[in-house]
Amino acid sequence: MVSKTEETQLNRLENQVDNGGGGAWEYLCLVRKLKVRRSEKVLKHGLSILNDPKKRSALGPEEWTLYEQVAIAAMDCQCLDVAKDCIKVLQKKFPESKRVGRLNGMLLEAKGSWAEAEKAYSSLLEDNSLDQIIHKRRIAMAKAQGNISEAIELLNKYLEIFMADHEAWREQAELYVSLQMYKQAAFCYEELILSQPTVPLYHLAYADVLYTLGGLENLQTAKKYYASTIDLTGGKNTRALFGICLCISAIAQVSKGRNKEDKESPELQSLAATALEKDYKQRAANKLGLLTCSLRSLKN
Amino acid sequence: MAEDLVLDTAIRDWVLIPLSVVMVLIGILRYFVSKLMRSSQVPDPKIVKEGQVIVRARNLRAAANFIPPKSFLSRRVYFSNEENGLLFVPKGQTQNAQAQMFSDPNMAMDMMKKNLSMIIPQTLTFAWVNFFFSGFVAAKIPFPLTQRFRSMLQNGIDLSTVDVSYVSSRSWYFLNLFGLRGLFSLILGEENATDDTQRMMQMSGFGFDPSKSLGAEKDGLDIVQHEWALPKFEHRAEAVLKKLIR
Repeated sequence: MVSKTEETQLNRLENQVDNGGGGAWEYLCLVRKLKVRRSEKVLKHGLSILNDPKKRSALGPEEWTLYEQVAIAAMDCQCLDVAKDCIKVLQKKFPESKRVGRLNGMLLEAKGSWAEAEKAYSSLLEDNSLDQIIHKRRIAMAKAQGNISEAIELLNKYLEIFMADHEAWREQAELYVSLQMYKQAAFCYEELILSQPTVPLYHLAYADVLYTLGGLENLQTAKKYYASTIDLTGGKNTRALFGICLCISAIAQVSKGRNKEDKESPELQSLAATALEKDYKQRAANKLGLLTCSLRSLKN
Repeated sequence: MAEDLVLDTAIRDWVLIPLSVVMVLIGILRYFVSKLMRSSQVPDPKIVKEGQVIVRARNLRAAANFIPPKSFLSRRVYFSNEENGLLFVPKGQTQNAQAQMFSDPNMAMDMMKKNLSMIIPQTLTFAWVNFFFSGFVAAKIPFPLTQRFRSMLQNGIDLSTVDVSYVSSRSWYFLNLFGLRGLFSLILGEENATDDTQRMMQMSGFGFDPSKSLGAEKDGLDIVQHEWALPKFEHRAEAVLKKLIR
């Protein structure tokens, strides 16, 4: 994930390049390092460098990396002839390369010929069965064809070997949520929390899934995780504040009649409500009335 | 008597500097040769999987207090149960890493190549230094040394009254050997094949022994006491919000 300073730097460079201030190469390098997906800009600026033979020769050996980056960006923007040209140049230079083979597979994917792409990837996997990127491309293909259950199966097999890949766990969690398999999604989010316990995003997503599952125990756990999100973000996360209010009212509904008062954090609901009102007053004052009504109805 | 010998500046011009320059050049040459000779290793799936299992188990141990107790316990059982736990290595199978390394022909060839690229230039340079640059005082070490170092540092010099601080060119060679490592990492980037001393240390403790680390992780996991940290977070959230509202 990209940090805030990196993001501001990237945007500044982007503005500079867009307004004709040079520095296109630094921008492209930064995009490549941070692995962000800004295909249109990459395509525009990358092509401007590649089509100018003076600038191209100034790059030296980095020229081929730029070809690869522009090819992928072109496929993302569906400019398939540009992509095909770049890949042809790369193939001439590196005839037996696996990386170029991978680009060819991606081109077949972009054209929509799934069967041929699958064949290309399987043959590449025969040479090196532990290539993480090709595994991920196959999963992406299954997802693009709309075959989510197969994507989940492939991703499970991938995770059996590469179980420390937290990006894959995140993708798996989102796939499960899209199929409403919330218990499995909760498991994936637990893995994410284990590997990166200080990222509030995962706590929040886990709490959401637990809240959706329902049941007294899950609701109480969800409340705890919303609280940890608030702690990790310094109280600024609106979704977590809402989550707390909703959880508390849901718990009150489920345990109606049972005299189980929550002695752990009695003030939490009123505090969360006040924080929300303050936030809305600052940022969306015209919606404050809506907020107070809904909070009041939750309390009852 | 400890008199001050005056060393000819010609020694500096014709011995010290050329020796250093030659060693730097040989180091660079070795780096490129090793890059050429390095065969692309196909990673073994079992080893990759074990590496990843270890990372995952370590994460579980480190952040165990962040997930609910039930999930932690089910994961612990998954990792360390007797029949098919991921970390469980039955006693008979603990591979002797050393034996495996020698029986695997590819790995043995690789190690031999690496050793060769290390040993041959060292031997050649050492012989060259001895042949051409022996028999005279090459430099003066700025700090005083005891007599014990005489045999090591003053090899070509046959006078026993010369102060031990005056050393022969052989010691300059050794100084360069260990000292140029820093220079190489500056010129050649982080991974270079000139880390002789590092490699020598690695050879003595025979590298990656997966079964032992799996067993170690399993023991570590068994020891962990799960203490759910989340209830504390509720109180902390309260405090944070209180501060925010004020």
